[in-house]
Amino acid sequence: MQNSANKLNADDDHVYNPPKPGRLSKPKKSRKKQDFWVIIGFLAPAMVIYALYVIYSIAMTFYYSLFEWTGIDSTLVFKGLENYITLMSDGVFWTSLQNNFLLVGASLFTQLPIGLIMALLLFSPVKGMRFFRSVYFMPFLMSTVAIGILFIYIYDGNFGIINQFLGQIGLESWQRGWLGNEETAIWAVIATVCWQFAPFYMVLFRAAIVGIPEDLYEAADIDGASPRKKFIHITLPLLIPTIITSSILSIIGSLKYFDLIYVMTDGGPNNSTELMATYMYEQTFTNFNMGYGSSISFTMFIIAFIVTAFIVLFDQKRKGAN
Amino acid sequence: MFKRTMGLLAMIALLFTTACTNSGGDSSSGSSEGSDTLTMWHIETGESEKALEDAVKRFEESHDGVNVKLVRQENDPYKTKLSVAMGGGSPPDVFHSWGGGWLENFVKADQVKDISEDIDTENYLPSALTPAEFDGKNYGAPLAMDIVPVWYNKDMFEEYGLEEPETYEELLSIVETLRSNDIIPFSLANQSKWPGSFYYMYLAERIGGPELFNEAFNREGRGFDDEAYVKAGEKIRELVEMNAFPDGFNGMNFDTGQSRQLMYSEDAAMIIQGNWMLGTTRADMPEFEEKLGFFMFPSIEGGQGSKQDIVGGVSPVFSVSKKTDNPDLAAELVNELTSKETAQQLANDDGAISAVKGVEYEDEYVQEINTVLEEAEYMQTFYDQTLPPEVAEAHLDTTQALFGQSMTPEEAAKEVEAKAKEVLE
Repeated sequence: MQNSANKLNADDDHVYNPPKPGRLSKPKKSRKKQDFWVIIGFLAPAMVIYALYVIYSIAMTFYYSLFEWTGIDSTLVFKGLENYITLMSDGVFWTSLQNNFLLVGASLFTQLPIGLIMALLLFSPVKGMRFFRSVYFMPFLMSTVAIGILFIYIYDGNFGIINQFLGQIGLESWQRGWLGNEETAIWAVIATVCWQFAPFYMVLFRAAIVGIPEDLYEAADIDGASPRKKFIHITLPLLIPTIITSSILSIIGSLKYFDLIYVMTDGGPNNSTELMATYMYEQTFTNFNMGYGSSISFTMFIIAFIVTAFIVLFDQKRKGAN
Repeated sequence: MFKRTMGLLAMIALLFTTACTNSGGDSSSGSSEGSDTLTMWHIETGESEKALEDAVKRFEESHDGVNVKLVRQENDPYKTKLSVAMGGGSPPDVFHSWGGGWLENFVKADQVKDISEDIDTENYLPSALTPAEFDGKNYGAPLAMDIVPVWYNKDMFEEYGLEEPETYEELLSIVETLRSNDIIPFSLANQSKWPGSFYYMYLAERIGGPELFNEAFNREGRGFDDEAYVKAGEKIRELVEMNAFPDGFNGMNFDTGQSRQLMYSEDAAMIIQGNWMLGTTRADMPEFEEKLGFFMFPSIEGGQGSKQDIVGGVSPVFSVSKKTDNPDLAAELVNELTSKETAQQLANDDGAISAVKGVEYEDEYVQEINTVLEEAEYMQTFYDQTLPPEVAEAHLDTTQALFGQSMTPEEAAKEVEAKAKEVLE
């Protein structure tokens, strides 16, 4: 994921700064060779760490997923692909996969638009916007565990402010224990996740909007474009690379998501808020099924990998078409 | 050109130095930092933590140059943390457990030291030693015992003219009375699943008798899908349908105090919790203590279990990990941690029931609880601690689902039995 993010940033640069002509465009052959070694030299430390902590770990996860192993024992029993076969018929895994995609959807269609709206609001000519900028960004600065516990209290069926508020406005029938109810728990957590991450996208969008050249707007003003038209024909098109970066970050982030679920519901009640990552954790560390947990991990990796590859491919096609 | 070569060399040199420091760092990680430092993990809070701290102080005073690092872990994530540390090869020297199937897992993985020779088993109550005894060897020394009564608010019972119930029918009528007065009968925070398990364990024992669990666990006679378990599930359903619990209890967390708050705010009248409820009340809201009374879970008409049978467990049990650099010191630390002095302090300040012989109880509550324990005909140890983790998890998950009404009693019982068959046979 680190890799793909880097790649994307490179793509962004590509859009903003067209390749510079001159010195680098016609390198001499020996020079190219020299450059190669220097580049290797600079990349090596990062590559070593990357290879050890990412590539090696992924390979080992796959290796362990072929065994039945408690994780603390020294005996590993080879099982082949049996863990994966069990996984395919494991109802909880499918629930968690479904929840992961729910989260992906919620992230794409709420976090990103809300982030964009907040970013645009920050450019509105209202006094005290600096203050709002800090306030909007606040949720992202809070520790996840603190947010989780805060929202546990907010959603509390008896003391929580949501139910108090519903009572005040006469909607007693809507009151419920939000996290204790299988139908509402996942939505309650997803809302919290969106609350936490929307500011992150706000910052990304804000940075991108700042980067849009002012003269484009001036030109549009001269042509008499309305603010709406300016947004549709200038801001939005120039934000597309950022939107794509954000989408990838949010999709992958949602596929691997763990923290708030773990703090707020621990996958419950009755596995209704289980995500792949929390289920993997439960299997690996609570049930001592390192092998099975690894097979969940690896499946997660494959899913995230395919989704990312698909988006990158799609993005390249789009650029080619342009 | 020359500059560049030099730069490259510098780069490579840097790489090597960083690589070297890394490998240098590895050797210092491990179970303990120096030869005379012991690390100990526990989950006690408040007064009981203080008792451990004092025990450690005594130990450090009598052992010159020995330094004990006492690390407190949070209750629910503790199990995970320890298994990660064990699996990663850097466990604490001394650690907390509850005995039972969970500890047995580590014993099987050859991670726990046999301390039969290091402790004097005569010092402990025999029933407290059994949870950490495997194949006749002791893998842990107990400090205190827990039992699970039904705690209730005496003022509220008086207000609504209620009395401690003798039979389950009476308990149900209490639930009805409280509900009709807009009081939550039982406070329950079942996100972490074990608080709901108390109901299931009691109901199953009261219906199927004390041997039910042992038969199912040892795979002799009745199983986890026995009629008694199904009936216990039906009784839970009945309670849920009577609206005996707070809204959204399956999402509430005991650790963050959500069920206790309802007791303190007098929105709820009863709670089934371990005797640690007394210690936590004293820490949370000392003035509430005088309103707190308890009774034992009543018997069920036609059932085989009696009101004298209790659900309980041993906690903490202290064990020594096999990978420790100082096995003898660690074992001595365990002896100090489970000494009569520590147990006495724990009983006085925290209201704990001692697993160590010869402790005298000052506190009237504790005396009462101790009487219950002495009169008990049978102690049902907590399922989730006795069973191997996977079966325990199946039990907890299905019980939570029963409470959430997303599983029928038959389905729940069948699922646990299937898991038990797979793991225990």
